[in-house]
Amino acid sequence: MFGRLTSGAILGVEAQRIDIECDVSGGLPCFQIVGLPDKEVSESRERIRSALRNAGYSFPAGRITANLAPADVRKHGVGFDLPIALAILIASGQIPAPKDLLLVVGELALDGAVRPVAGVLPLTLQAVAEGMAGAVVPIDNLAEAALVPNAAVFPVASLADAAALFRGERSMSPAPPPPRWGPTSVPPARDLSEVRGQCTAKRALEIAAAGGHNLLMVGPPGAGKTLLARCLPGLLPPLSFDEALEVTKIYSVAGLLARGESLVEHRPFRAPHHTISYAGMVGGGHGTPGPGEITLAHRGVLFLDEVSEFDRRVLETLRQPLEDRSILIARAEVSIRYPAAFTLVAAMNPCPCGHLGDELQPCTCTLHDIRRYRQHLSGPLLDRVDLFVEVPRLAVGELLDTAFAEPSAAARARVGRARQTQWATRPGILSNADLEGASLREHCRLDPEATQLLRRAIARFALSGRGHARVLRVARTIADLAGDESIRAAHVAEALQYRAAGRVREE
Amino acid sequence: MHRRDAPGRQAEDNACKLLRGLGYAIVARNWSSRGGELDIVARDGDILVFVEVKARSGSGFGGPEAAVSRAKQRRIAVAAKAFMARTDADLPARFDVIALEGDDVRIHRAAFSLDDVWPTD
Repeated sequence: MFGRLTSGAILGVEAQRIDIECDVSGGLPCFQIVGLPDKEVSESRERIRSALRNAGYSFPAGRITANLAPADVRKHGVGFDLPIALAILIASGQIPAPKDLLLVVGELALDGAVRPVAGVLPLTLQAVAEGMAGAVVPIDNLAEAALVPNAAVFPVASLADAAALFRGERSMSPAPPPPRWGPTSVPPARDLSEVRGQCTAKRALEIAAAGGHNLLMVGPPGAGKTLLARCLPGLLPPLSFDEALEVTKIYSVAGLLARGESLVEHRPFRAPHHTISYAGMVGGGHGTPGPGEITLAHRGVLFLDEVSEFDRRVLETLRQPLEDRSILIARAEVSIRYPAAFTLVAAMNPCPCGHLGDELQPCTCTLHDIRRYRQHLSGPLLDRVDLFVEVPRLAVGELLDTAFAEPSAAARARVGRARQTQWATRPGILSNADLEGASLREHCRLDPEATQLLRRAIARFALSGRGHARVLRVARTIADLAGDESIRAAHVAEALQYRAAGRVREE
Repeated sequence: MHRRDAPGRQAEDNACKLLRGLGYAIVARNWSSRGGELDIVARDGDILVFVEVKARSGSGFGGPEAAVSRAKQRRIAVAAKAFMARTDADLPARFDVIALEGDDVRIHRAAFSLDDVWPTD
């Protein structure tokens, strides 16, 4: 007696189809799961045994073998509980085999209830891609599964529920229509109007948000670096539907979607502490490597406060993903590519005591201290920063100033318009930070005056090829914010200013 | 020897009566092989059932079920394997435990299986 069902496994942020075959035969009672199951998959035997009995089915006597194919993919997670249990019921003739190909996923509780699992969104996408008739998912995962266009989704609350579906006792009433997409709320953030002074830094923040450029803020303690960064979520342009789907896939796989949450609505803003490990930052961990902070910050912002306190080795790992917009985690058994298109925003003090260049408070560091502090950020890493900005101590006048400061909403509107321009005029590009090669040449045309200026700057500041490209991208974003089609000298000059600050600091 | 077994013998007789009442057919009793012994072998429809009978006169020691230890299960499994091989049966099989405690009778269907007795991982 034989039963067959389809389920899926998650590899990175993509799903892979897994076929579940179940054979019930004569012989002494024995229940085995084969096909490279991990510990938690093997343990599902106990959950399945109890769930079947408690849901009122009999656990068949004799020898039961469940095979998960293909056998060379390591199976982990608890999502195979439900499909294996149903395959046993099919094999023992307690329920009929489904007429159509369905993808089934869900964890079982001992009483037969179905619990939510991670990765339902990519699994449902895979079901549609493979042309399956639908996906049977835990009811608590319905919101994310329903996002998939053209998917027939059958939510189940229990094993009995799923069995009723197979027996045709429940109408196959699938798929609530996907929710209408549109930003419904402003993300929680501090407001720019709370920040006194710091006009240059605010402007740099706006440019970073509009074009997805990397930003480094340097200044003494208490000047407002962290507060400025905390304003950033409120400036970021809304996610497009496709971007939201990408981000949701990552959060679905990581198991970080709130119960009932469907789409991740806001751009991620991740601010890991400086004690974060290598694996925590780029991804890893035992077994199948999971996504790290840089992947959780995909299409959003990775904020590193006190960046010089981070482990140097951890910082250096950022170099490659900053260029590639993704990270390949290779292990002996598997290698997984995770997306990591994030905007890096970092903040640091100018020296260990924090007061170098301060007019009121003298710096107490030795030259050696300062050099060691600076060496924490390597040249190649600094070369990937588009915008350097100093956040100086506020003058007494500024500190006590009660004049009107522009709120985030106004900047957010400008940023949104600039990003709309990028999407509309540069197909295939999600933000100016993605421009490279041919698209960079095509979209970053300079007028003659701007060309002259850039030529002089390359010689003067010894810009590398990468540095040159970064100036062009920032200039493009500044022009977009100004609503200009071509890049003019003023835009290049402003872009250069944010690099010059960095050069001066390094010397 | 025989006398010491008398209460156990009595319990197994009671268990057989109970199983017949449930519609089981008794196939063998006190079937022993080198590795262990089977108290009762019965047929529940198309399923071969190996029944272990445990009786306790008084409470204490955690009830009769507690006496069916992993080692005891292993001996039953070894004997069951021998029985299946000897009788050429290719029926699905099950291990049941019947616990008799005073007037209280408990039947544990599918009380254990080979993957409990010899875990593969």
